Amino acid sequence: MKLFWLEIYKTFSRWRTYIGFGFIALIVILTEVVMKLSAGEIVNRMMRSPQKDFLIFGNVLNGWFVTAFIMNSLHFHIPFLIALVAGDMVSGEATSGTVRFLLIRPPSRYRIITAKYVATLFYTTGLVIFLGVVCILPGLALFGSGDLIAHHYGKFGIVFIPEAEIPIRMLFAFLAAIWSMTTVASIAFLLSTLVENSIGPIIGTMAVVVVFLVIGNFPFDFFWSLKPYLFTTYMVFWQRFLDDPIPWQEIVRSATILGLHSFGLFFIAFGAYARKDIKS
Amino acid sequence: MKKILLWLLWIPFLLSPGLIQAQEDPARYLDALQKKYSGLKDYTVDVNVHFDIEGFKAPDMQAKLYCKPPDKMKIESKRIFFLPKEGGTFNPSMFRREDFDVKFLDRLTYEGGNAVKLKLTPKKKKRNGQDFILTVDTDRNLIREMNVSSFEGKEVKALMKYSQFSDFDLPTRIELHLDVPFYESMEIRDFGQSAQPARRVTGRVEITYSNYRVNVGLSDEIFDETTPSKWRKGSSGGR
Repeated sequence: MKLFWLEIYKTFSRWRTYIGFGFIALIVILTEVVMKLSAGEIVNRMMRSPQKDFLIFGNVLNGWFVTAFIMNSLHFHIPFLIALVAGDMVSGEATSGTVRFLLIRPPSRYRIITAKYVATLFYTTGLVIFLGVVCILPGLALFGSGDLIAHHYGKFGIVFIPEAEIPIRMLFAFLAAIWSMTTVASIAFLLSTLVENSIGPIIGTMAVVVVFLVIGNFPFDFFWSLKPYLFTTYMVFWQRFLDDPIPWQEIVRSATILGLHSFGLFFIAFGAYARKDIKS
Repeated sequence: MKKILLWLLWIPFLLSPGLIQAQEDPARYLDALQKKYSGLKDYTVDVNVHFDIEGFKAPDMQAKLYCKPPDKMKIESKRIFFLPKEGGTFNPSMFRREDFDVKFLDRLTYEGGNAVKLKLTPKKKKRNGQDFILTVDTDRNLIREMNVSSFEGKEVKALMKYSQFSDFDLPTRIELHLDVPFYESMEIRDFGQSAQPARRVTGRVEITYSNYRVNVGLSDEIFDETTPSKWRKGSSGGR
């Protein structure tokens, strides 16, 4: 536990840890202010499809709608912010020259790597919770509350979630988002144990995420057949909590696949760190 | 010769129903509708909308509707409320003779009563390319069915049930059958969408009306900024 808090202290002593929080606060608040100023245009754009056939009354652009909109927009960018810190967790020790000092101390390598990994997950969780707080609180203050219209842009399909159900669904959605980001953090963490500088793991993680997303979205049969084997396919399973009925089976499957990825990646990192040569 | 003359005398009688039908002004049925509701100054009603549309997952929605013909409408709802654009509301001023080219299609029996089928083509709203086929109960001067079709391929059929409130027959239930094309946006998945045919979305919407209050003297102020443009003169489309 002491090791864990030490890692947390080290993590939050670095200025780069706060880049993610700062970026999220800036982008989310800016987005919310812009959405407030051009509310009509945004509603028209988002609801273009249903507005063809329905007259829509009521507070569609409420805090929950804005939160779902921002989550949809940012879930490709958050991995970069996570990689920024997770990619530095182990390799940072090599860069700063403290790795030998660390590994000759009494705590075993297993305890050190586990503490670092848990600290990485702590940061990941904190970042996603921060995103949730920054989205929801100013969102509700600026736009008010109401029922949530979950509409997949460009597709005919509307899910109407009553206001009373939204907080618990959002809680589950954010927990799912944390779970998804854990996989990204695990990739960055593994790469961080393999190299001795931080840039490689950060760029490497983003390269993996971007390449997988691109492959998964190419409109060719070959790439479509690969989609089930890409972890990025399951990363958006938080959206399923805004579906009706909630597809629990699909959620459990996605969560399991992502969990296995995270565990597998940590296991490899664990093995790599145990065998790490610090003498050369 | 006598036989030929006899047959010639019969010809006008044989042709007369068709001639009468061709000569009668079909717009008079619209006039009768207008006349029937000329005393309807305003009304308020509670509306419940039930959706049964593929891909549209929503519970029943409730609202209070305020209407002041010819062009004022307000929806009051604590929650988000969706109302179908076509056939979702009853506005007796919707079909005025001066706004449509009216064509007589058929005379028929509807639920044991006399009815006519009319085709209405908007004179001004050509932009929408919408045609209306109305089945009008000529005994009670009521629109019983309305079929709306647009050049985009949208098909909406509305079946209406009425009850009498303060001497006016007002709808208690409108059942809409929707069959509309939907083009998936190219931004969402790939870049070959333009070649793809539209997917059709079908479903049913059931609108029930209750607690009518007729001619209660609604003031114009309560409708400020809330009337959908569809109801305003010389324009079309949604809110």
